[in-house]
Amino acid sequence: MSVETTTETAPVPKKGMNILFGLTLLGLLLFLWLLLGISTTSFWTSNNISNLLRQGAMTAILAVGQTFVIITAGIDLSVGAVVGFSSVTVAWLLQHGVPLWPAMGITLLVGVAIGAFHAFGIVRMGLPAFIITLATLTSLRGIGLLVTNGSTISISDESFTNFSRADFLGIPSLFWMVIVVAIPAYIFLHLSRWGRYLFAVGSNSEAARLSGVNVNRTIYLAYILSSTCAAFVGLLLASRIGIGNATQAEGWELQAIASSVIGGTSLFGAVGSVHGPLLGAFILATINNGANLLNVNAFVQRIITGVLIIVIVYFDQLRRRGSR
Amino acid sequence: MTGLQDVSHRHEGTAAIAKHPVPKGEPILELRGLQKKYGAVEALKPANITFLSGEIHAIVGENGAGKSTLIKLLTGVIRRTAGEVFWCGDAVQLATPNEAISRGINAVHQEVVLCRHLSVAANMFLGDEINRNGLMRKRAMTDAAQAVLDDLGFNLPAAALLSDLTIGQQQLVATARAAMRGTQFLIFDEPTAYLTRQESAQLFRLIRRLQGEGVTIVYISHRMEEVFELADRVSVLRDGAHIGTRKIAETNDAELISMMINRTIEQIYHKETLPIGATIVETRGLSGPGFSDVSLSVRAGEIVGLYGLIGAGRSEFALGLYGRQPLSAGEVYWQGSKVKIRNERDAMDLGIALAPESRRDQGLCLNLPIGLNINLPVFDRLSRGLTINRAREIENADRQIKDLKIKTPTRRVLASAMSGGNQQKIVIGKWLSHGAKLFIFDEPTVGVDVGTKAEIYRLFARLLEQGAGIILISSYLPEVYELSDRLHVFRQGKLVASHTYRSASHEEVLTQAIGV
Repeated sequence: MSVETTTETAPVPKKGMNILFGLTLLGLLLFLWLLLGISTTSFWTSNNISNLLRQGAMTAILAVGQTFVIITAGIDLSVGAVVGFSSVTVAWLLQHGVPLWPAMGITLLVGVAIGAFHAFGIVRMGLPAFIITLATLTSLRGIGLLVTNGSTISISDESFTNFSRADFLGIPSLFWMVIVVAIPAYIFLHLSRWGRYLFAVGSNSEAARLSGVNVNRTIYLAYILSSTCAAFVGLLLASRIGIGNATQAEGWELQAIASSVIGGTSLFGAVGSVHGPLLGAFILATINNGANLLNVNAFVQRIITGVLIIVIVYFDQLRRRGSR
Repeated sequence: MTGLQDVSHRHEGTAAIAKHPVPKGEPILELRGLQKKYGAVEALKPANITFLSGEIHAIVGENGAGKSTLIKLLTGVIRRTAGEVFWCGDAVQLATPNEAISRGINAVHQEVVLCRHLSVAANMFLGDEINRNGLMRKRAMTDAAQAVLDDLGFNLPAAALLSDLTIGQQQLVATARAAMRGTQFLIFDEPTAYLTRQESAQLFRLIRRLQGEGVTIVYISHRMEEVFELADRVSVLRDGAHIGTRKIAETNDAELISMMINRTIEQIYHKETLPIGATIVETRGLSGPGFSDVSLSVRAGEIVGLYGLIGAGRSEFALGLYGRQPLSAGEVYWQGSKVKIRNERDAMDLGIALAPESRRDQGLCLNLPIGLNINLPVFDRLSRGLTINRAREIENADRQIKDLKIKTPTRRVLASAMSGGNQQKIVIGKWLSHGAKLFIFDEPTVGVDVGTKAEIYRLFARLLEQGAGIILISSYLPEVYELSDRLHVFRQGKLVASHTYRSASHEEVLTQAIGV
């Protein structure tokens, strides 16, 4: 009885549409760098660039993990809290005499467990992703504060804290960590069947299920990856500031979501990439960095960031509508 | 009639557009060359139909004949490509739903489009609430709605939540809502599809009563007996064209059916007699959510048809057999040995494929490319180690697109951009690339044009030749009747009757499905 409202003359997607969009973002990033290079004297100093890469690196890794979740049409609000909690975990373990490598391994496993708990809540308890991750956001902060009694645990292991200050081939080691995460993430999302399953679940989980995709396992995978990325960032942060503190990384979940969305991820699911959120994270970092250099009031910075998110995502919407 | 008038006088402002009431039997709505095109596809060929004031005018036609397009044009949901519409003698645009409603043209749809979480009364007054000083007068609305419902003879509580009612009762609420709003011209789109006999009888009484009050009724159905019971005149659509209009007293079933079909049944449903092979699957007393105690078997080379009204348990049975729904009792034997199908993957690994009832909700990832949809069940086979073999992925998608003649320039087009027929082919393509012994097709030709239908039927024959068995689920009787080697009739979750090829008449099968 239903008459199809679509025509046979289907729009042909332009070849490499995603690549083109990636290039637009890259262009925007380079344009910002050029602009800041002209308007400030201190932007193109190796010190500042290193600083920028370090700032952007952690958001970038969070954003990649977040993107996996958003592609399944979910959301992970807990990543900021997981970062703070992981910094406490690793600091506490080191304080109690656990050797460095096992301490880091255990911290990552805690991340895996948190992600598995999120997926459990969604798959088995039927809770919305928004709720279960919001609940762990507040609980993890609480647990971290309890463990540390509201203060911080300082980390004395120098080899750990030196890592974040080190360079390799003239590039900050924190930035290398982005590459360490991004390459397997790219292979996972774009070249493996599990990546395809993430998109299928985000587009229509019932159709995916009836096609033999293990939807529950896919959801577990997405949330575990997101939390593990966050735990990894927690290690990097602990290394950078030399302490474990449960209140660190406040609001980073929003930075991660914003980076992902700026990078072309659709909050409705089934649209996203790995390179998009990376660029998104460095665009955000550049904006903050530039505003600092230009002595823009810190409060005004926040407003500018908000406005830019609206503008960038709005243009992305226009582009999508245009290509339909 | 007091209830209706009490409330409808509030709508005089809107209803008064028909200032000069058209005397009974005079044209109230005239279509002259009304046409609708989607791209190159003519959904409605230029049609000239006149509706007379106060008549019940039935419109019949097969799925995809253009009935929905016509309703959407008349209710302002879509805009016409060409032609004119005259309402009470004046040329009108009918460009928006609001314009149609304000002229007094309303429709009651097959799927109820109301808010499930609001009360019956709130739904009836939705968008037109009774207010005092900016605050809603809930009590007054509930009372007024109850008065209308009582007056209409519907035994429904106005304060109940809509979601607590059956779909049939919701349909009655939708009708009461339209009746309350000073409607001059009311279109019913297959209103009885989900109704029980009792609810249907209530609805018919209401329709006659509205007719008595001078409302013009358009009644769309493909149930012949309803058309002959209710209508004064009947128009036939076929493949988007208006074939003709007859007075009900001057026509009969046979004439209408030949107008609707215009081709011999053998031309569409060419059935080849193939040797029937060994039993592929057998269910014994299978029960689960929505069906109980279903025993049937499918052999290689045969089509087993499952006929019944919507909600009779056919699709539920298919989902149960496919492992989507947990089974509560019964056994499944696959090629002679007892098996347990716990989930979809188990079913697929045995060799069962399911093209589900709803392409939109169950069949396709609409906002993903055609290629990804086709390959979705077989990515594990297309992968080597961690990554997918791109060349094989592309080759498999392109082969299905070519074999099934899916009309797309490339596999990268999104599935949502395809027509119903091509979307169905994508769903089928998924299962052809996966391969199976038993294919379950649930409503495979809904919203599919005649040409593609014939292609799909030919594909069935090809699958049977290769030694597969098919379960064909359909609400369209001619389809299951002509194609099935064995035909099982479902009613209220149970298998109530079984027939071999053409061993029962249409009437017999229909009667068993409805359960007179």
